[in-house]
Amino acid sequence: MSSESAAFVHNARWEVTRLWRSRRIWLFLIPVVAGPIGSAIADLYLRVPSAATAEVLGLLIVAGLASLVVLDLTALAVGEDLALRTQYLTFALPQSRTSSLAGRLAIVVGGTVGAYGAGAAAVLAIAPSLVSTSSTAPNPILVPAHLAYGGIGLLVFLGGVTAAAAIVTRSAAQALVAGVLAGVLAAGIGSMLLIQGRLTALFPEVAAAAGLAGVVWCVVQYGRIEG
Amino acid sequence: MTSELLAVDAVWKRYGARDALRDVRFTLQSGEAVGYLGPNGAGKTTTLKLLAGIARPTRGSVRLRGLDPVRDRTRALRRLGALVETPAVPPYLTGADLLEYVARVKGIPAAERAHAARRAAEALDVVEHLDRPFGSLSTGLGRRMLLASTMVGDPELLLLDEPTLGLDPAARHDLRELLCTLSRQGLTILLSTHLIEDVEEVCGRVLFLRDGSLVGDEPVGLTSDRDSPGSARTLRLAFASEVAPDSVARTAGDDVEVSVDGPRRLTVRFPGGEAEQTRLLSSLIRAGLPLLTAAPPESELARRYMERVGREGSS
Repeated sequence: MSSESAAFVHNARWEVTRLWRSRRIWLFLIPVVAGPIGSAIADLYLRVPSAATAEVLGLLIVAGLASLVVLDLTALAVGEDLALRTQYLTFALPQSRTSSLAGRLAIVVGGTVGAYGAGAAAVLAIAPSLVSTSSTAPNPILVPAHLAYGGIGLLVFLGGVTAAAAIVTRSAAQALVAGVLAGVLAAGIGSMLLIQGRLTALFPEVAAAAGLAGVVWCVVQYGRIEG
Repeated sequence: MTSELLAVDAVWKRYGARDALRDVRFTLQSGEAVGYLGPNGAGKTTTLKLLAGIARPTRGSVRLRGLDPVRDRTRALRRLGALVETPAVPPYLTGADLLEYVARVKGIPAAERAHAARRAAEALDVVEHLDRPFGSLSTGLGRRMLLASTMVGDPELLLLDEPTLGLDPAARHDLRELLCTLSRQGLTILLSTHLIEDVEEVCGRVLFLRDGSLVGDEPVGLTSDRDSPGSARTLRLAFASEVAPDSVARTAGDDVEVSVDGPRRLTVRFPGGEAEQTRLLSSLIRAGLPLLTAAPPESELARRYMERVGREGSS
Protein backbone atom coordinates (compact mmCIF):
# COMPACT_ATOMS: atom_id res chain seq x y z
CA MET A 1 0.00 0.00 0.00
CA SER A 2 1.42 3.40 -0.98
CA SER A 3 1.82 6.08 1.68
CA GLU A 4 -1.00 8.11 0.10
CA SER A 5 -3.47 5.25 0.13
CA ALA A 6 -2.34 4.24 3.62
CA ALA A 7 -3.10 7.76 4.89
CA PHE A 8 -6.49 7.61 3.15
CA VAL A 9 -7.38 4.29 4.78
CA HIS A 10 -6.04 5.17 8.26
CA ASN A 11 -7.99 8.41 8.33
CA ALA A 12 -11.16 6.89 6.92
CA ARG A 13 -10.98 4.51 9.83
CA TRP A 14 -10.18 7.38 12.19
CA GLU A 15 -13.33 9.16 10.99
CA VAL A 16 -15.40 6.05 11.70
CA THR A 17 -13.94 6.00 15.24
CA ARG A 18 -14.84 9.66 15.69
CA LEU A 19 -18.36 9.11 14.37
CA TRP A 20 -18.78 6.14 16.67
CA ARG A 21 -17.45 7.86 19.79
CA SER A 22 -19.48 11.00 19.19
CA ARG A 23 -22.60 8.90 18.38
CA ARG A 24 -22.93 10.84 15.14
CA ILE A 25 -22.72 7.57 13.26
CA TRP A 26 -26.42 7.04 14.01
CA LEU A 27 -27.23 10.02 11.79
CA PHE A 28 -26.64 7.73 8.82
CA LEU A 29 -29.78 5.85 9.83
CA ILE A 30 -32.01 8.89 9.46
CA PRO A 31 -32.34 8.86 5.64
CA VAL A 32 -32.57 5.05 5.67
CA VAL A 33 -35.21 4.69 8.38
CA ALA A 34 -36.93 8.02 8.95
CA GLY A 35 -37.06 8.81 5.22
CA PRO A 36 -39.14 5.84 4.09
CA ILE A 37 -41.31 5.85 7.23
CA GLY A 38 -42.04 9.57 6.94
CA SER A 39 -42.66 9.14 3.28
CA ALA A 40 -45.11 6.27 3.86
CA ILE A 41 -47.03 8.26 6.46
CA ALA A 42 -47.22 11.22 4.09
CA ASP A 43 -48.41 8.97 1.25
CA LEU A 44 -51.28 7.63 3.33
CA TYR A 45 -52.20 10.87 5.07
CA LEU A 46 -52.12 13.07 1.97
CA ARG A 47 -53.90 10.54 -0.23
CA VAL A 48 -51.29 10.85 -2.94
CA PRO A 49 -52.90 10.24 -6.36
CA SER A 50 -50.24 8.02 -7.94
CA ALA A 51 -47.34 5.76 -7.09
CA ALA A 52 -44.99 7.98 -9.09
CA THR A 53 -46.05 11.05 -7.08
CA ALA A 54 -45.55 9.05 -3.88
CA GLU A 55 -42.05 8.15 -5.04
CA VAL A 56 -41.27 11.80 -5.81
CA LEU A 57 -42.57 12.85 -2.40
CA GLY A 58 -40.57 10.13 -0.67
CA LEU A 59 -37.37 10.93 -2.55
CA LEU A 60 -37.68 14.61 -1.64
CA ILE A 61 -38.05 13.67 2.03
CA VAL A 62 -35.06 11.30 1.95
CA ALA A 63 -32.91 13.82 0.06
CA GLY A 64 -33.85 16.56 2.53
CA LEU A 65 -32.91 14.43 5.51
CA ALA A 66 -29.68 13.28 3.87
CA SER A 67 -28.82 16.91 3.12
CA LEU A 68 -29.01 17.76 6.81
CA VAL A 69 -26.80 14.79 7.62
CA VAL A 70 -24.13 15.62 5.04
CA LEU A 71 -24.07 19.26 6.17
CA ASP A 72 -23.56 18.33 9.80
CA LEU A 73 -21.01 15.56 9.32
CA THR A 74 -18.93 17.41 6.74
CA ALA A 75 -18.84 20.62 8.76
CA LEU A 76 -17.60 18.69 11.79
CA ALA A 77 -15.16 16.48 9.87
CA VAL A 78 -13.30 19.52 8.56
CA GLY A 79 -14.14 22.34 10.94
CA GLU A 80 -13.95 20.66 14.34
CA ASP A 81 -10.21 19.93 14.22
CA LEU A 82 -9.38 23.36 12.85
CA ALA A 83 -11.37 25.03 15.62
CA LEU A 84 -9.72 22.89 18.32
CA ARG A 85 -6.25 23.08 16.71
CA THR A 86 -6.14 19.29 16.62
CA GLN A 87 -4.45 19.64 13.25
CA TYR A 88 -1.21 20.55 15.03
CA LEU A 89 -1.19 17.00 16.33
CA THR A 90 -2.09 15.26 13.07
CA PHE A 91 0.01 17.50 10.80
CA ALA A 92 3.16 16.42 12.65
CA LEU A 93 2.46 12.76 11.87
CA PRO A 94 4.17 10.97 8.99
CA GLN A 95 1.29 11.04 6.54
CA SER A 96 0.01 13.00 3.55
CA ARG A 97 -2.33 15.69 4.79
CA THR A 98 -4.41 15.80 1.62
CA SER A 99 -4.94 12.04 1.65
CA SER A 100 -5.80 12.14 5.35
CA LEU A 101 -8.62 14.63 4.82
CA ALA A 102 -9.75 12.87 1.65
CA GLY A 103 -10.13 9.67 3.67
CA ARG A 104 -12.26 11.38 6.28
CA LEU A 105 -14.44 13.14 3.69
CA ALA A 106 -14.92 9.88 1.84
CA ILE A 107 -16.58 8.48 4.93
CA VAL A 108 -18.90 11.39 5.68
CA VAL A 109 -19.89 12.32 2.12
CA GLY A 110 -19.74 8.78 0.78
CA GLY A 111 -21.55 7.43 3.82
CA THR A 112 -24.35 9.96 3.45
CA VAL A 113 -24.72 9.28 -0.27
CA GLY A 114 -24.88 5.57 0.58
CA ALA A 115 -27.51 6.19 3.24
CA TYR A 116 -29.46 8.32 0.76
CA GLY A 117 -29.24 5.52 -1.80
CA ALA A 118 -30.56 3.00 0.70
CA GLY A 119 -33.39 5.34 1.75
CA ALA A 120 -34.26 6.12 -1.86
CA ALA A 121 -34.31 2.42 -2.75
CA ALA A 122 -36.64 1.76 0.19
CA VAL A 123 -38.98 4.55 -0.92
CA LEU A 124 -39.06 3.25 -4.49
CA ALA A 125 -39.84 -0.22 -3.16
CA ILE A 126 -42.51 0.81 -0.64
CA ALA A 127 -44.39 3.60 -2.44
CA PRO A 128 -46.05 1.47 -5.16
CA SER A 129 -47.38 -0.94 -2.56
CA LEU A 130 -48.93 1.86 -0.51
CA VAL A 131 -50.44 3.96 -3.29
CA SER A 132 -52.47 2.80 -6.26
CA THR A 133 -52.48 5.05 -9.28
CA SER A 134 -55.94 6.35 -10.23
CA SER A 135 -56.83 6.76 -13.89
CA THR A 136 -57.36 10.50 -13.38
CA ALA A 137 -54.09 11.06 -11.56
CA PRO A 138 -51.94 13.84 -13.00
CA ASN A 139 -48.37 13.13 -13.99
CA PRO A 140 -45.85 13.83 -11.23
CA ILE A 141 -43.85 17.02 -11.53
CA LEU A 142 -40.59 15.05 -11.77
CA VAL A 143 -39.57 11.65 -13.06
CA PRO A 144 -38.69 9.64 -9.91
CA ALA A 145 -35.58 8.08 -11.42
CA HIS A 146 -34.30 11.51 -12.46
CA LEU A 147 -34.97 12.89 -9.01
CA ALA A 148 -33.14 9.98 -7.37
CA TYR A 149 -30.15 10.72 -9.55
CA GLY A 150 -30.38 14.46 -8.91
CA GLY A 151 -30.36 13.87 -5.14
CA ILE A 152 -26.82 12.48 -5.37
CA GLY A 153 -25.69 15.62 -7.16
CA LEU A 154 -27.27 17.78 -4.47
CA LEU A 155 -25.53 15.86 -1.65
CA VAL A 156 -22.11 16.05 -3.31
CA PHE A 157 -22.68 19.78 -3.90
CA LEU A 158 -23.58 20.40 -0.27
CA GLY A 159 -20.64 18.31 0.97
CA GLY A 160 -18.20 20.25 -1.22
CA VAL A 161 -19.52 23.67 -0.30
CA THR A 162 -19.55 22.85 3.42
CA ALA A 163 -16.03 21.38 3.36
CA ALA A 164 -14.66 24.41 1.54
CA ALA A 165 -16.48 26.76 3.92
CA ALA A 166 -14.99 24.92 6.91
CA ILE A 167 -11.49 25.50 5.56
CA VAL A 168 -12.17 29.19 5.03
CA THR A 169 -13.95 29.85 8.32
CA ARG A 170 -12.15 27.22 10.47
CA SER A 171 -15.43 26.72 12.22
CA ALA A 172 -17.92 23.86 11.97
CA ALA A 173 -20.82 26.13 12.94
CA GLN A 174 -20.08 28.70 10.25
CA ALA A 175 -19.49 25.99 7.67
CA LEU A 176 -22.90 24.56 8.53
CA VAL A 177 -24.54 27.94 7.94
CA ALA A 178 -22.74 28.26 4.59
CA GLY A 179 -23.94 24.78 3.63
CA VAL A 180 -27.55 25.57 4.53
CA LEU A 181 -27.41 28.75 2.45
CA ALA A 182 -25.94 26.79 -0.46
CA GLY A 183 -28.77 24.25 -0.11
CA VAL A 184 -31.39 26.99 -0.17
CA LEU A 185 -29.75 28.46 -3.26
CA ALA A 186 -29.66 25.09 -5.03
CA ALA A 187 -33.30 24.39 -4.15
CA GLY A 188 -34.31 27.84 -5.38
CA ILE A 189 -32.50 27.48 -8.69
CA GLY A 190 -33.89 23.96 -9.15
CA SER A 191 -37.45 25.17 -8.48
CA MET A 192 -37.04 28.07 -10.89
CA LEU A 193 -35.78 25.77 -13.64
CA LEU A 194 -38.66 23.36 -12.94
CA ILE A 195 -41.27 26.13 -13.23
CA GLN A 196 -39.67 27.31 -16.47
CA GLY A 197 -39.67 23.73 -17.76
CA ARG A 198 -35.91 23.80 -18.23
CA LEU A 199 -34.88 21.40 -15.44
CA THR A 200 -32.70 18.67 -16.93
CA ALA A 201 -30.08 16.23 -15.67
CA LEU A 202 -27.52 18.93 -16.37
CA PHE A 203 -28.52 20.81 -13.21
CA PRO A 204 -27.60 18.08 -10.67
CA GLU A 205 -24.55 17.21 -12.75
CA VAL A 206 -23.29 20.78 -12.59
CA ALA A 207 -24.07 20.86 -8.86
CA ALA A 208 -22.13 17.62 -8.32
CA ALA A 209 -19.18 18.94 -10.34
CA ALA A 210 -19.18 22.12 -8.22
CA GLY A 211 -19.29 19.99 -5.08
CA LEU A 212 -16.40 17.83 -6.23
CA ALA A 213 -14.44 20.97 -7.07
CA GLY A 214 -15.14 22.18 -3.53
CA VAL A 215 -13.88 18.91 -2.06
CA VAL A 216 -10.72 18.98 -4.18
CA TRP A 217 -10.05 22.62 -3.27
CA CYS A 218 -10.63 21.77 0.39
CA VAL A 219 -8.16 18.86 0.51
CA VAL A 220 -5.52 20.80 -1.44
CA GLN A 221 -5.84 23.77 0.90
CA TYR A 222 -5.72 21.45 3.91
CA GLY A 223 -2.30 20.32 2.75
CA ARG A 224 -1.10 23.94 2.72
CA ILE A 225 -2.38 25.13 6.08
CA GLU A 226 0.49 26.41 8.20
CA GLY A 227 -1.23 27.80 11.23
CA MET B 1 28.05 8.27 20.76
CA THR B 2 26.26 11.32 19.38
CA SER B 3 25.30 12.11 15.81
CA GLU B 4 23.57 15.01 14.16
CA LEU B 5 19.83 14.49 14.37
CA LEU B 6 18.49 17.85 13.32
CA ALA B 7 20.00 20.61 11.21
CA VAL B 8 18.41 24.02 10.80
CA ASP B 9 20.35 25.96 8.20
CA ALA B 10 19.85 29.67 7.44
CA VAL B 11 16.10 29.45 7.89
CA TRP B 12 13.88 32.43 7.24
CA LYS B 13 10.12 32.44 7.63
CA ARG B 14 8.05 35.34 6.38
CA TYR B 15 4.36 35.93 7.12
CA GLY B 16 3.11 38.76 4.92
CA ALA B 17 5.51 41.66 5.41
CA ARG B 18 6.91 40.34 8.70
CA ASP B 19 9.91 38.08 9.13
CA ALA B 20 8.96 35.62 11.88
CA LEU B 21 12.40 33.96 11.64
CA ARG B 22 15.64 35.43 10.35
CA ASP B 23 18.60 33.34 9.39
CA VAL B 24 18.16 30.80 12.18
CA ARG B 25 20.87 28.13 12.30
CA PHE B 26 21.46 25.39 14.81
CA THR B 27 21.94 21.66 15.05
CA LEU B 28 20.85 19.08 17.59
CA GLN B 29 22.95 16.06 18.40
CA SER B 30 21.18 12.88 19.38
CA GLY B 31 20.67 12.62 23.12
CA GLU B 32 20.75 16.37 23.76
CA ALA B 33 18.09 18.22 25.74
CA VAL B 34 18.01 21.77 24.43
CA GLY B 35 15.93 24.67 25.69
CA TYR B 36 14.54 27.17 23.22
CA LEU B 37 13.99 30.36 25.17
CA GLY B 38 12.44 33.59 24.06
CA PRO B 39 9.55 35.89 24.84
CA ASN B 40 6.10 35.57 23.33
CA GLY B 41 6.20 36.27 19.61
CA ALA B 42 9.94 35.65 19.28
CA GLY B 43 9.39 32.85 16.76
CA LYS B 44 9.69 29.74 18.94
CA THR B 45 6.45 28.14 17.80
CA THR B 46 7.16 29.07 14.19
CA THR B 47 10.47 27.22 14.45
CA LEU B 48 8.78 24.14 15.88
CA LYS B 49 6.19 24.22 13.10
CA LEU B 50 9.01 24.13 10.55
CA LEU B 51 10.74 21.26 12.34
CA ALA B 52 7.51 19.26 12.58
CA GLY B 53 6.67 19.71 8.90
CA ILE B 54 3.62 21.83 9.67
CA ALA B 55 4.99 24.86 7.82
CA ARG B 56 7.67 25.40 5.17
CA PRO B 57 10.59 27.78 5.53
CA THR B 58 10.54 30.75 3.18
CA ARG B 59 14.31 30.30 2.76
CA GLY B 60 16.86 27.89 4.15
CA SER B 61 16.46 24.25 5.05
CA VAL B 62 15.43 21.95 7.86
CA ARG B 63 16.71 18.39 7.89
CA LEU B 64 15.76 15.58 10.22
CA ARG B 65 18.35 12.83 9.83
CA GLY B 66 19.02 14.41 6.43
CA LEU B 67 15.36 14.35 5.35
CA ASP B 68 13.08 17.31 4.57
CA PRO B 69 10.12 17.14 6.99
CA VAL B 70 7.73 18.68 4.43
CA ARG B 71 8.76 17.00 1.17
CA ASP B 72 9.68 13.66 2.67
CA ARG B 73 7.29 13.77 5.60
CA THR B 74 6.36 10.10 5.73
CA ARG B 75 9.98 9.12 6.36
CA ALA B 76 11.24 12.22 8.16
CA LEU B 77 8.45 12.41 10.74
CA ARG B 78 8.31 8.71 11.59
CA ARG B 79 10.75 9.06 14.52
CA LEU B 80 9.49 12.44 15.65
CA GLY B 81 7.14 13.26 18.50
CA ALA B 82 5.82 16.80 18.45
CA LEU B 83 3.45 18.79 20.58
CA VAL B 84 3.10 22.22 19.00
CA GLU B 85 0.66 25.01 19.96
CA THR B 86 -1.17 23.05 22.68
CA PRO B 87 -3.70 21.27 20.47
CA ALA B 88 -6.97 19.96 21.88
CA VAL B 89 -8.59 16.66 21.05
CA PRO B 90 -12.38 16.37 20.57
CA PRO B 91 -13.85 15.65 24.01
CA TYR B 92 -15.60 12.42 22.99
CA LEU B 93 -12.38 10.65 21.91
CA THR B 94 -10.42 8.55 24.41
CA GLY B 95 -6.68 8.42 24.94
CA ALA B 96 -6.69 4.86 23.62
CA ASP B 97 -8.33 6.06 20.39
CA LEU B 98 -5.67 8.72 19.89
CA LEU B 99 -2.70 6.48 20.71
CA GLU B 100 -3.95 3.72 18.44
CA TYR B 101 -4.48 6.21 15.60
CA VAL B 102 -0.95 7.58 16.01
CA ALA B 103 0.46 4.06 16.11
CA ARG B 104 -1.38 3.18 12.91
CA VAL B 105 -0.24 6.32 11.10
CA LYS B 106 3.36 5.73 12.23
CA GLY B 107 3.23 2.40 10.48
CA ILE B 108 3.48 0.19 13.55
CA PRO B 109 2.33 -3.32 12.60
CA ALA B 110 -1.16 -4.25 13.82
CA ALA B 111 0.16 -6.91 16.19
CA GLU B 112 2.40 -4.41 17.96
CA ARG B 113 0.09 -1.37 18.04
CA ALA B 114 -1.57 -2.07 21.37
CA HIS B 115 1.80 -2.75 22.98
CA ALA B 116 3.32 0.44 21.54
CA ALA B 117 0.36 2.50 22.75
CA ARG B 118 0.52 0.97 26.21
CA ARG B 119 4.25 1.53 26.48
CA ALA B 120 3.79 5.21 25.62
CA ALA B 121 0.97 5.47 28.16
CA GLU B 122 3.14 3.82 30.80
CA ALA B 123 5.93 6.30 30.16
CA LEU B 124 3.52 9.12 30.99
CA ASP B 125 1.73 7.19 33.74
CA VAL B 126 -1.67 7.47 32.08
CA VAL B 127 -2.48 3.80 31.51
CA GLU B 128 -5.45 3.80 33.86
CA HIS B 129 -6.95 6.81 32.07
CA LEU B 130 -6.67 5.43 28.54
CA ASP B 131 -10.35 4.61 28.24
CA ARG B 132 -11.58 7.95 29.53
CA PRO B 133 -12.77 10.56 27.03
CA PHE B 134 -10.57 13.64 26.77
CA GLY B 135 -13.48 15.76 27.95
CA SER B 136 -13.34 14.08 31.36
CA LEU B 137 -9.57 14.54 31.88
CA SER B 138 -8.05 17.40 33.88
CA THR B 139 -5.77 19.83 32.04
CA GLY B 140 -2.65 18.14 33.38
CA LEU B 141 -3.87 14.65 32.62
CA GLY B 142 -4.98 15.70 29.14
CA ARG B 143 -1.54 17.19 28.53
CA ARG B 144 0.12 14.01 29.67
CA MET B 145 -2.13 12.00 27.36
CA LEU B 146 -1.12 14.23 24.46
CA LEU B 147 2.51 13.78 25.45
CA ALA B 148 1.94 10.03 25.50
CA SER B 149 0.73 10.27 21.90
CA THR B 150 4.06 11.87 20.96
CA MET B 151 5.92 8.95 22.56
CA VAL B 152 4.21 6.29 20.45
CA GLY B 153 6.70 4.52 18.21
CA ASP B 154 9.76 5.40 20.31
CA PRO B 155 10.66 8.76 18.76
CA GLU B 156 14.27 9.90 18.51
CA LEU B 157 13.36 13.56 18.82
CA LEU B 158 10.70 15.22 20.95
CA LEU B 159 9.61 18.76 20.09
CA LEU B 160 7.66 20.38 22.90
CA ASP B 161 6.04 23.78 22.82
CA GLU B 162 5.36 25.24 26.27
CA PRO B 163 4.48 21.83 27.72
CA THR B 164 4.11 23.08 31.30
CA LEU B 165 1.88 26.04 30.45
CA GLY B 166 -1.39 26.00 32.39
CA LEU B 167 -0.35 23.16 34.68
CA ASP B 168 -0.55 23.41 38.45
CA PRO B 169 2.80 23.39 40.33
CA ALA B 170 2.64 19.67 41.15
CA ALA B 171 1.82 18.68 37.58
CA ARG B 172 4.54 21.00 36.29
CA HIS B 173 7.06 19.43 38.65
CA ASP B 174 6.02 15.92 37.57
CA LEU B 175 6.31 16.80 33.91
CA ARG B 176 9.79 18.27 34.38
CA GLU B 177 10.85 15.15 36.25
CA LEU B 178 9.53 13.05 33.41
CA LEU B 179 11.37 15.06 30.79
CA CYS B 180 14.58 14.72 32.82
CA THR B 181 14.06 10.96 32.92
CA LEU B 182 13.42 10.78 29.18
CA SER B 183 16.50 12.87 28.53
CA ARG B 184 18.62 10.59 30.72
CA GLN B 185 17.29 7.66 28.70
CA GLY B 186 18.80 9.24 25.58
CA LEU B 187 15.80 10.91 23.98
CA THR B 188 16.65 14.14 22.17
CA ILE B 189 14.42 16.98 23.35
CA LEU B 190 13.88 20.49 22.04
CA LEU B 191 11.92 22.33 24.69
CA SER B 192 10.43 25.62 23.58
CA THR B 193 9.33 27.75 26.49
CA HIS B 194 9.51 31.14 28.09
CA LEU B 195 9.83 29.58 31.56
CA ILE B 196 13.47 29.63 32.59
CA GLU B 197 12.94 27.04 35.33
CA ASP B 198 11.81 24.49 32.73
CA VAL B 199 15.07 24.86 30.86
CA GLU B 200 17.21 24.91 34.02
CA GLU B 201 15.79 21.63 35.21
CA VAL B 202 15.57 19.71 31.96
CA CYS B 203 18.15 20.99 29.51
CA GLY B 204 21.91 21.04 29.16
CA ARG B 205 22.02 23.61 26.38
CA VAL B 206 19.95 26.66 25.60
CA LEU B 207 19.14 28.66 22.48
CA PHE B 208 17.96 32.24 22.94
CA LEU B 209 15.61 33.67 20.35
CA ARG B 210 14.72 37.32 20.02
CA ASP B 211 12.57 38.86 17.27
CA GLY B 212 13.08 35.84 15.06
CA SER B 213 16.87 35.79 15.38
CA LEU B 214 19.00 33.38 17.35
CA VAL B 215 21.00 35.51 19.80
CA GLY B 216 22.61 32.81 21.92
CA ASP B 217 23.54 29.13 21.83
CA GLU B 218 25.30 28.08 25.03
CA PRO B 219 25.32 25.62 27.93
CA VAL B 220 22.57 26.13 30.48
CA GLY B 221 25.16 26.45 33.23
CA LEU B 222 25.66 24.88 36.60
CA THR B 223 23.09 26.55 38.79
CA SER B 224 21.75 23.19 39.84
CA ASP B 225 25.03 22.05 41.42
CA ARG B 226 25.27 24.96 43.82
CA ASP B 227 25.41 22.57 46.75
CA SER B 228 28.47 20.78 45.48
CA PRO B 229 31.56 20.87 47.75
CA GLY B 230 33.33 24.19 47.65
CA SER B 231 30.40 26.05 46.14
CA ALA B 232 28.96 29.25 47.54
CA ARG B 233 25.41 30.43 48.07
CA THR B 234 23.96 33.86 47.63
CA LEU B 235 20.86 35.16 49.40
CA ARG B 236 19.01 38.41 49.14
CA LEU B 237 17.83 39.58 52.55
CA ALA B 238 15.04 42.06 53.20
CA PHE B 239 14.58 43.69 56.62
CA ALA B 240 11.59 45.40 58.24
CA SER B 241 13.73 48.43 59.11
CA GLU B 242 17.14 49.78 58.19
CA VAL B 243 20.06 47.70 59.48
CA ALA B 244 23.78 48.38 59.49
CA PRO B 245 25.71 46.05 57.16
CA ASP B 246 28.46 45.79 59.81
CA SER B 247 26.06 44.35 62.36
CA VAL B 248 24.97 41.71 59.86
CA ALA B 249 28.58 40.91 58.97
CA ARG B 250 29.53 40.59 62.66
CA THR B 251 26.60 38.30 63.37
CA ALA B 252 27.06 36.17 60.29
CA GLY B 253 30.74 35.47 60.68
CA ASP B 254 34.03 36.14 58.94
CA ASP B 255 33.47 33.98 55.85
CA VAL B 256 30.25 35.77 54.85
CA GLU B 257 30.46 38.61 52.32
CA VAL B 258 27.84 41.32 52.75
CA SER B 259 26.90 43.88 50.12
CA VAL B 260 24.29 46.62 50.27
CA ASP B 261 21.41 46.60 47.76
CA GLY B 262 19.32 49.32 49.42
CA PRO B 263 18.43 50.86 52.82
CA ARG B 264 16.66 47.67 53.98
CA ARG B 265 18.14 45.20 51.53
CA LEU B 266 21.42 43.31 51.67
CA THR B 267 22.98 40.47 49.72
CA VAL B 268 25.03 37.86 51.57
CA ARG B 269 27.37 35.34 49.98
CA PHE B 270 28.69 32.45 51.99
CA PRO B 271 30.38 29.08 51.42
CA GLY B 272 28.38 25.91 51.90
CA GLY B 273 24.89 24.60 51.35
CA GLU B 274 21.56 24.25 53.11
CA ALA B 275 23.01 23.64 56.59
CA GLU B 276 25.12 26.82 56.45
CA GLN B 277 22.13 28.76 55.18
CA THR B 278 19.97 27.60 58.10
CA ARG B 279 22.73 28.45 60.58
CA LEU B 280 23.19 31.94 59.10
CA LEU B 281 19.49 32.82 59.13
CA SER B 282 19.05 31.50 62.68
CA SER B 283 21.94 33.61 63.92
CA LEU B 284 20.51 36.75 62.33
CA ILE B 285 17.12 36.19 63.95
CA ARG B 286 18.68 35.32 67.32
CA ALA B 287 20.64 38.58 67.15
CA GLY B 288 17.34 40.47 66.93
CA LEU B 289 17.79 41.73 63.39
CA PRO B 290 14.33 42.44 61.82
CA LEU B 291 14.67 39.91 59.00
CA LEU B 292 11.60 39.72 56.75
CA THR B 293 12.59 37.53 53.81
CA ALA B 294 15.59 35.63 52.47
CA ALA B 295 15.53 34.54 48.84
CA PRO B 296 18.02 33.32 46.28
CA PRO B 297 18.89 35.86 43.62
CA GLU B 298 17.59 35.39 40.11
CA SER B 299 19.26 32.46 38.47
CA GLU B 300 22.33 32.71 36.33
CA LEU B 301 20.26 31.65 33.34
CA ALA B 302 17.65 34.30 34.09
CA ARG B 303 20.39 36.92 34.12
CA ARG B 304 21.69 35.70 30.78
CA TYR B 305 18.15 35.62 29.41
CA MET B 306 17.73 39.30 30.30
CA GLU B 307 21.09 40.09 28.73
CA ARG B 308 20.39 38.25 25.47
CA VAL B 309 16.67 38.72 25.07
CA GLY B 310 15.72 41.62 27.33
CA ARG B 311 12.20 42.51 28.31
CA GLU B 312 9.41 41.51 25.99
CA GLY B 313 8.90 44.13 23.32
CA SER B 314 11.87 46.19 24.40
CA SER B 315 13.92 45.40 21.32
